[in-house]
Amino acid sequence: MRPEGRKTKAVRSSPTVAIRDLSRPDAAEKHLAQMESKYHGLLEAAPDAMVVVNQGGDIVLLNLQAEKQFGYRRDELLGQKVTNIIPVGFAERLIADDLRSTEDALAQQIGTGIELIARRKDGSEFPIEIMLSPLESAEGILVTAAIRDISARKTDEKHLAQMESKYRGLLEAAPDAMVVVNQGGDIVLLNLQAEKQFGYRRDELLGQKVKNIIPEGFAERLLADRLRSADDALAQQIGTGIELTGRRKDGSEFPIELMLSPLESAEGILVTAAIRDISVRKAAEANLLQKVKELYRSNEELEQFAYFASHDLQEPLRMVASYTQLLARRYKGKLDTDAEEFIAFAVDGASRMQRLIQDLLAYSRVGSKGMNLLEISSEGALQQALVNLRGAVEESGAVVTHDPLPAVLADEMQLVQLFQNLVANAIKYQKPGVPLVHISAARNVEKKWQFSVRDNGLGIDPQYFERIFGLFQRLHKREEFAGTGIGLAICKKIVERHGGRVWVESGPGQGSTFRFTLAASKMKS
Amino acid sequence: MKPPDNKIIMPIKILLVEDSPGDVRLTQEAFRDANGLTQLHVAADGVEAMAFLKQEGTHVHAPRPDIILLDLNLPKMDGRQVLAQIKQDDDLKTIPTLILTTSEAEADIVKSYRLYANCYLNKPVRFDAFESLVKSINDFWLTKVKLPPRAPSG
Repeated sequence: MRPEGRKTKAVRSSPTVAIRDLSRPDAAEKHLAQMESKYHGLLEAAPDAMVVVNQGGDIVLLNLQAEKQFGYRRDELLGQKVTNIIPVGFAERLIADDLRSTEDALAQQIGTGIELIARRKDGSEFPIEIMLSPLESAEGILVTAAIRDISARKTDEKHLAQMESKYRGLLEAAPDAMVVVNQGGDIVLLNLQAEKQFGYRRDELLGQKVKNIIPEGFAERLLADRLRSADDALAQQIGTGIELTGRRKDGSEFPIELMLSPLESAEGILVTAAIRDISVRKAAEANLLQKVKELYRSNEELEQFAYFASHDLQEPLRMVASYTQLLARRYKGKLDTDAEEFIAFAVDGASRMQRLIQDLLAYSRVGSKGMNLLEISSEGALQQALVNLRGAVEESGAVVTHDPLPAVLADEMQLVQLFQNLVANAIKYQKPGVPLVHISAARNVEKKWQFSVRDNGLGIDPQYFERIFGLFQRLHKREEFAGTGIGLAICKKIVERHGGRVWVESGPGQGSTFRFTLAASKMKS
Repeated sequence: MKPPDNKIIMPIKILLVEDSPGDVRLTQEAFRDANGLTQLHVAADGVEAMAFLKQEGTHVHAPRPDIILLDLNLPKMDGRQVLAQIKQDDDLKTIPTLILTTSEAEADIVKSYRLYANCYLNKPVRFDAFESLVKSINDFWLTKVKLPPRAPSG
């Protein structure tokens, strides 16, 4: 209320000098009239009711607002006791007590609003706030009272108080910080959680702009744009968590999630905001993301390592393998049988190591090569695999049959490799007799295609169901079945890269059925 | 494969760019078995290979090779750079340049052909497979293929 303070000062200084030497009563009256004409403009321009009162409590001047507010005509009020319109609390303040001068008494009141009850001509009462300022004159100090009707505000306050008492329990029971905001963006209610979360005392937040604690994104949502009503605008936000940033009293910021809900009240729609501190969740999310990144990187590094290591391992291996072979050939018959046996072991070891490296390379290639996902015929892929396996199929006398197979979304080369590995296994792990292999596909409950490669071979003990898909895992001695144990590991990797699953159903002597799932193509097959 | 008597046969000159002595010896062994009429010259790194081809320094009297077998991973100047320089050189670019490497990386294969390699071959691990590869090189590049005349001096 600084402007008023300043105005008071100006009024006090300049006119006082002119008024001083007019000491006679008739002159005083004349002077009052002068003053009236002088301050008339000022009084009437004021938005509030203005009443000038002398120290006897008589009204000596008033403006149109005062007439209206109290329901009197001007002449009905001039010269009347101010207690007629403000029965209690005003006149008393004009009287200096023994301990204080009038000036001192007034000085205490100036600039602070005093809430009182006013009475209209018709006897009705209403709440007012008055602001006092002294005015020196020939009659001594006059007091100017600016009187504001605060009925509306009082009603608001009453409503809020009612509402607050009504919702207090609800608000305080909520685990989240709760803030009720009006459409002007002012905080009208809050709970203890909100005080704690933002580091303010309740009275520091009440009546403040919500922007102080949620700088961006909330206040804006309260304002309807031209095309939508406030109701519609709110309706869109309600029930959906909005992630924003909260700011504490100390200026520190933290991530919050906001849930809005409307609250109809006498002042229009208020908005209840449940504010959840999601620092922990955000930190967990960031942590998870970081972990995923790290995992991805280490996986990538591992694949690169496998790929390059196998290249570099090939070099010395070539020397060992090639030269032992050359040795065996060039000195055949010139060495004793021990020497030839030793050389044979060396050649065999080098060859196996080469197989391992080749397989490792093939395995890492499944992961490191980009996938070319296309709509392809799985039957075509199977046929290609069977062409590649022609030698093995003919040699074993196996009978490979299949149902019509669907179109799928897959990398063709990898699907060929998948079928090739599974069919090759089906032919390889056989008991005496004609190997029978059958491939079929059916939709599963997830609407994916589930492929089955069924054989009548040796079967697998259930305890090994997991292990057989591991890298370089073998169930048989090398003398029984050759191989490094990479085939099913590659199958697993291929299927998983396609977002599917691979498993086996079997038992010793019952044959095996390897099943895997693949996403169906979007087109009908 | 007896040449007709009225034709003068010159041995086919091969420049092998290879840093591993073991590989050099294997290649020599394999070529000796495949075709006795080859002359294998060896450069142990990319810098030496370019000096040989441009007849510089100690290689002023080096012959122009009919064909080049080039490893990719070489000290000093690697095979890719050597290949790029050969194929940018108006005089040298007509010499068929065969990449012979252990690298199966797709990136290496693509890069080599981009640089106009005449073909890309993987060194097999076993000697018998390597022997068979060298025999294929001999049967195709040194026998079936018509090589350009030994320009400009030869």
